[in-house]
Amino acid sequence: MNCPDCKEKLDRYVDRELNNTEVLELQLHLEGCPDCTDQYEFQAHLKRLVKHSCDCDAAPAAFREKLRQILT
Amino acid sequence: MAESPARTAFAEEALTHLDTLYRGALRLTRDPDQAQDLVQEAYLRALRYQHSYQAGTNMKAWLFAIMRNLFWDRFKGTRKDDVSLDDVGDFVLFEKLRDEGARPEADVLDKIAASEVVSAVEKLPALHREVVLLVDVEGFSYKDAAQALGVPIGTVMSRLHRARQQLQRSLYDYAVESGIVRGSTNGATQQ
Repeated sequence: MNCPDCKEKLDRYVDRELNNTEVLELQLHLEGCPDCTDQYEFQAHLKRLVKHSCDCDAAPAAFREKLRQILT
Repeated sequence: MAESPARTAFAEEALTHLDTLYRGALRLTRDPDQAQDLVQEAYLRALRYQHSYQAGTNMKAWLFAIMRNLFWDRFKGTRKDDVSLDDVGDFVLFEKLRDEGARPEADVLDKIAASEVVSAVEKLPALHREVVLLVDVEGFSYKDAAQALGVPIGTVMSRLHRARQQLQRSLYDYAVESGIVRGSTNGATQQ
């Protein structure tokens, strides 16, 4: 695997969407390529940042209770 | 009138996904009251069409599909206002920052506030925003996201790719405006 191939697959690697063979090939490339490793870590960090920034809004307790009463 | 045990059990299981639906609705409508209206209507519709849910399949994806279809029907009217990101050029934030001499993670990502990330997500066109919500925030697989959105997996991947590029542009613009990075004369929005 070369760098363009690796970068083309980084999104799917970060999203855990590659098959086992692709994962092994990509990890082998990352072990020998600091530049692609830096980019992978950046993309993984960005994904975590988006998740942690957006997943802190839970449904208000009063709304949850209202729904429970309507639905059950 | 007492509800049937089966209906109650179904409703209880469906309510375990309430936070996911509420977050999705909140990010789509950008309004807590509208989000609650949307989610309540989605749950009522889910109960009405309970028979169409196949036990053992992904209930969260099924519920999200109901909610986002209601969103498009009721809050958007048509999809004409959902601008396409297809014509935006490639933008790789990592390469942009590195080329400008910054350390992309330590100098930039660690300094961006969560509220700015939420703002950047909410600025995405809704068709792209919902893919980010499912895959990045709620951890859906591409397959489950495709089911929830009623599109092929390839469409999920292409929308996600475009959404992430646009998100990175927004974060770069914010980083420049707030002085986190110096920026270049060839800013993200000009590409």
